[in-house]
Amino acid sequence: MDMYLASVLTNMTLIAFLALSAYLVLVVGEVSFGQQAFFGIGAYITASATALAGAHVFWGLLAGAIGGASCALVLGLLTIRLSGIYFAISTLCFAELLRFFLLHLRFTQSVDGRIIGPDGPEGFSNIRWIFENNYQVTDFLLLAVTCLIILLIVLFSLERSPIMLGARMVGNDPILAQSQGLNPTRYRLSFITLSGAVAGFGGGLFALFNTHIEPAMFGVMLGIHGLAYAVIGGLGSAIGPLLGVFLDIGLLESIRSLAAYRMIIFGGLVALLLVFRPEGIISPRLVSHLKSRWRNRHV
Amino acid sequence: MLEVRNLVKHFGGVRAVDGLDFKIQQGEVFGLIGPNGSGKSTTVNLVCGVFAPTDGEILLDGIDLGAIAPHNRVDAGVARTFQNIRLFSELTVWQNLWVAWRDQPGQEQGWVSNWFGRSPARRQEIQKLLEFSGLGDKADHLAGNLAFGEQRRLELARAMASKPKLILLDEPAAGMNSAEIKDLCQRVLAMKEMGMTVLLVEHVMELVMNVTDRITVLNFGKPIAQGTPIEIQNNKLVQEAYFGSAENAHGGVS
Repeated sequence: MDMYLASVLTNMTLIAFLALSAYLVLVVGEVSFGQQAFFGIGAYITASATALAGAHVFWGLLAGAIGGASCALVLGLLTIRLSGIYFAISTLCFAELLRFFLLHLRFTQSVDGRIIGPDGPEGFSNIRWIFENNYQVTDFLLLAVTCLIILLIVLFSLERSPIMLGARMVGNDPILAQSQGLNPTRYRLSFITLSGAVAGFGGGLFALFNTHIEPAMFGVMLGIHGLAYAVIGGLGSAIGPLLGVFLDIGLLESIRSLAAYRMIIFGGLVALLLVFRPEGIISPRLVSHLKSRWRNRHV
Repeated sequence: MLEVRNLVKHFGGVRAVDGLDFKIQQGEVFGLIGPNGSGKSTTVNLVCGVFAPTDGEILLDGIDLGAIAPHNRVDAGVARTFQNIRLFSELTVWQNLWVAWRDQPGQEQGWVSNWFGRSPARRQEIQKLLEFSGLGDKADHLAGNLAFGEQRRLELARAMASKPKLILLDEPAAGMNSAEIKDLCQRVLAMKEMGMTVLLVEHVMELVMNVTDRITVLNFGKPIAQGTPIEIQNNKLVQEAYFGSAENAHGGVS
């Protein structure tokens, strides 16, 4: 496979984790501008675990996911009484707080003559797992896609369960959901935590693939992109955010002649979609409609 | 069955409900009326747990509802409809009922059929409820696409689906025309015949006077009268609360 194609596909897969984590928060009715921080925390933890502590990559990624989830849980607990724009602003502040923490984080070690570890704004270099294990770009792509497919299987089984239905109910109308016997707070906390785990895991993969990470990578623009992919793709199904990622990175970045105009086209695309399909391409309405048509045909 | 004792709710300096007492008997349709801002909807929200009371007790069959978390009150036996229609508009009519559904005590389905939504007996029951509500052929429509009257009927059906001990109807006739109000009267009376206990909060006197057994009248958060519909219509205090002074109230309340 073409190296360039493989690396674009890998990037898409990694960003898909971020978009899916934004999606999980959107499902319970909140907008988060802070998913990039969980992504970054996951990246740092996985990098530290594999490069510094020499842990197996599986444990490294797991630690990244748990780290992301813990930070998200803290955010969820802090914002337990907030919603709407107030919640959104809080997520942004919390994410910037975590990024500043990373900017000041220094504990470098010398391993085999190389300086390894977080070094303030310089970031974390020499994450050599991918070289040590002789991973080609295509091998890594395979690993990332496998992880994404496992996540999608989990999300799809969730989608068919009362849990996701409950989450959508809470997202739609918390007071009504409460009157139907659902605990909105519990749903919100669980989904925000889950979103942190997904972002943290994706961040871990990102660190392994990039071999160098720095706090500047996890700025607010990254989170806004992830959020935009979820919103463009639509909240009807986990396929939505993937479609958003595919449209932006896949379609626009891969047409090289457009490279310089990419952000212009992306911005225009977002504006057009907000006018013509404000609920996203795969909206809940569309999914509901398709499901009932499918049911009618098979009854 | 429902007993409200000295219920008080203050919003800052506003005394929305200020010392309310009433008792509802099993199988009764109980009306709660009063001018705008007299605390009727606040009372419903207190019983459902949307707000926590400042003071006082709400007992359902002797159990203190204050000790039950708001989201557990539907399983404790309190169901409601909303003044402004609240439905999951992106779910179908069927799904709206499915999520509200509680099996009759003693006939619960296991979590497996709950999870996968495949219980033929329950499907039949829900279909029956849809027929009762005049929505038999709308099961697969999105709730948001229904007509106004149909949405009201769906709210009512949803409240019934949870097999509550007590149903709170918060201004169910708001925005209805007179034909729809007549239809609603029939439905509430049918619910009463099925043995349900109803707390009706309403402005539309045509509905209140025709279906309730007893009425409490609120003004500025305080109960000013209690009695049968006839007694209430002839009560001087009630006429004053609605019309300012008794001299001008020649036509009665209805």
